Order: sequence, then structure tokens, then C-alpha cells
Amino acid sequence: MRYVDEYRDPALARALAAEIRSLVDPGEVVRVMEVCGGHTHAIYRHGLEELLPPELELVHGPGCPVCVIPMGRVDDAIAIAETDGVTLATFGDMLRVPGGGGSLLEAKARGADVRMVYSPLDALALAAQEPDRHVCFFAIGFETTAPATAVTLLRARAGRTPNFSVFCNHVLIEPPLRAILETPGLRVDAFVGPGHVSTVIGTDAYRFIPEEYGRPVVVSAFEPVDLLQSIAMLLRQRAEGRCEVENQYTRVVRREGNRRAVAAMAETMEPRADFEWRGLGVLPASALRVRDAFAAFDAERLFTLPGARIEDPKACRCGDVLTGQIKPWECGVFGTACTPERPLGTCMVSSEGACAAFFSYGRLRRPREEAPVGG
Amino acid sequence: MTPDPERCLTCSDDAVAARVVSVDGLEAVVAVGRDTERVGIDLVPDTRAGDVLLCHAGIALERLEEQR
Repeated sequence: MRYVDEYRDPALARALAAEIRSLVDPGEVVRVMEVCGGHTHAIYRHGLEELLPPELELVHGPGCPVCVIPMGRVDDAIAIAETDGVTLATFGDMLRVPGGGGSLLEAKARGADVRMVYSPLDALALAAQEPDRHVCFFAIGFETTAPATAVTLLRARAGRTPNFSVFCNHVLIEPPLRAILETPGLRVDAFVGPGHVSTVIGTDAYRFIPEEYGRPVVVSAFEPVDLLQSIAMLLRQRAEGRCEVENQYTRVVRREGNRRAVAAMAETMEPRADFEWRGLGVLPASALRVRDAFAAFDAERLFTLPGARIEDPKACRCGDVLTGQIKPWECGVFGTACTPERPLGTCMVSSEGACAAFFSYGRLRRPREEAPVGG
Repeated sequence: MTPDPERCLTCSDDAVAARVVSVDGLEAVVAVGRDTERVGIDLVPDTRAGDVLLCHAGIALERLEEQR
């Protein structure tokens, strides 16, 4: 398949891995954070860490939208779903995310009308098909997904669909990156930037990272060769004394992004004063809410929500995983009390979550890594 | 879009490249594997049959440049 096969070429991957090895010095440690959950998933799925030298450490970042949603927002969604006459529609993974009072799937088992959709447009179509019910779309996601919600709100207004609303939980990529960059003792030397978020916001959006924090960024696509090339590009910058934003994903990402998508988001949504992130705490202007002009479609104005702030389970260290402080398997409940079947924390729910990705693809590496020296 | 079962259903940053079969107003029919799906092309105007679109959450985010 074009756009896939050429980016999975084993010979090319080996050549890039050799170049990466040549660009690190024996014994040093270079830490590269991949911001995006899609990259985390691809790294584990394709076993890319096996190709990398021990001097290069990949740190998994906060870019999985399921993983960063706080439990209180899940409880708010459940409250909407359990309102008479309401259908709550959302993406599949959100159904399993545990809130303080269980998951949406458990609410569905109790009788709530919860449905899985692949698009907010599907939820809008559902509202048109079932005019006697109110259909609320539980919207999550970074700037990749927010344009779909924006288009849906614009169509809902144009089509005068009165029985549709959005429970908006869209988040922005810059605030968590700043929070990570300002973490005391941060040990990340370079960033692999998210590919599809960048399709929308463009590569210029990351210039603050080299300019204010002195770390290079390479926006990357998702196939194995893409990721290896992006890591090689980061190391080449270092070797040549450069520190800038580069674009590996030139086949789709533009410097300025998709201006129509950004405009649609700006027309329908605006930044909130602040938003709670799992693992990162409350970050100012880090999420979007529905604008006043679309108030008729804003679930937060149509429903009374509990709005509770719920502490994560103490045993769960999703926060430390999301900020790259620990690896998934270093959490005490990883693979025992917390598994993809019964997730305790959000990182174990989505397949883009670092814990779930490692659980699915990476566990075979652990014995070798943990074998006692000389044992 | 029906995602690859190996990948995330929610897909903050997951998107699928798909070729346009036909265009009907603000919707395009795209080929995904052996199936077809409808995606909104509100944000990628001037889409034509044969284009390859990057699709996510039921809309096209961008056109892959090499196609024209």
C-alpha cells in the first residue's frame, strides 16, 4: 500500500538505526520524548527500541487524549448519560475509562443509553434520526480531533438540530509541553513532535521549544522508518550544533497547518481559564470550551454536572508515566491490579496509552532488562 | 473511519490516509481497505476523486500533496 510500505522498508530502517548509533557517544544518555500516543504505540508495536542503541532512551509523553482526561470529567459524562431521554455518544476507548463512579460501559449496563461512534458527525446524524431523544457527544482529543467537533457544531447550527449537544473536553498540546519543559530536573533532550496535531496547527506552533527551552523538535509521521528518521534528524541537529523545529512528515504537514481547521475551531470553541490534566494537574488555558454563539449546543450549559475533582487511585502512577518520570513497568500495579481488561489508570485503557502499549507489545523485553548482572 | 483494530479507537493523533472514490457536496466517499467510508470535506475544499485524504474522526484534515 502506498504511503505505508515504503515507510516499513527493513533495509532503510537498519540503515537509519546504524546512523543513529553513529550519532551517539558510547556511555552517554540521550533522552528523546515522543509526545504523541500514536508514536508510543508504533514504537512498541514495531519493536523500535530493539533497534536503538542503549545510549538513546525514549520517554513516552502525554499525547494520549484518553490518558489525560481526569476522572471527574468521566463522572460528568456519566451524569449526562443517566439523564432521562439522553443518549451519550463517544469514542470507543472512552467507554472503558474509569471515573470515580465506574465507567460509561458500567453506566450502559445499568441502563444508560451510551453509544460508540467514530465521529461527532455520527452523533449528529443520530440526533437527526432520533428527534425525540437528546444526543450529547462526549468530545475528547487534541487539535487533531477538535476540528471534527468544530465542523459538527457548525453543521448542527446550520441544520438547526435542536436535540444535539457537545460535552467539550478538547485539550491543547502546547500547555502540557510547557508544563513538562518546566518540570524541575527535566531530563528530556529532544522531542519527536506529534504528526497529526501538526497537520492542523502546523510546525511553527513548536518554535517556543527550541527558542525558549533550547530543545530541538522534529515533527514525525508514524511508520517505523518515519520515527527512526525523525530520531536521526534530532541527533543530526545536535551533531551540527543546530536547535530548531524540523518537519519529517512533509507529505502532509505544512508549516502553517490547516488554516480552515484552525478557523473552524476558533469560531466554535475558545480556551477555558484552566483545565485539570491527569498527571499534570490544573494547567491554565489548556483546553477548549464551546463559545457563547453555540451555547444551545453546549452540554455544560444544558445539564447540571457534578464537576467533582477526584483524586487518582494512590497505587496508580499514571501521572509519573505521563510526564516521563517512570516507565510503565515501574508502576507497582502494572500488569497486576491494572491490566487492559481491568484498567486502574487511564494509561492502561487506550492502546495509545504507554502502559497498554507496553503491556501488549513490550513485556517480552522485561526479563532481559531486569536480569541481574552476572546472574 | 473504521480504524485498524491494532490502533486506538479514540486516536487523538491517529489518522488514516484514504483515496477518494467520489465527492458529494461536503462529503467524500473514500476507500479504506475493501470498504468505503463517508468523510466530511468541509476543511479540505476542492477535493476530487483520486485525491488521497488524511482522515480522522469522520472528517478529512488534509490532502496528501503528492497526489496532484
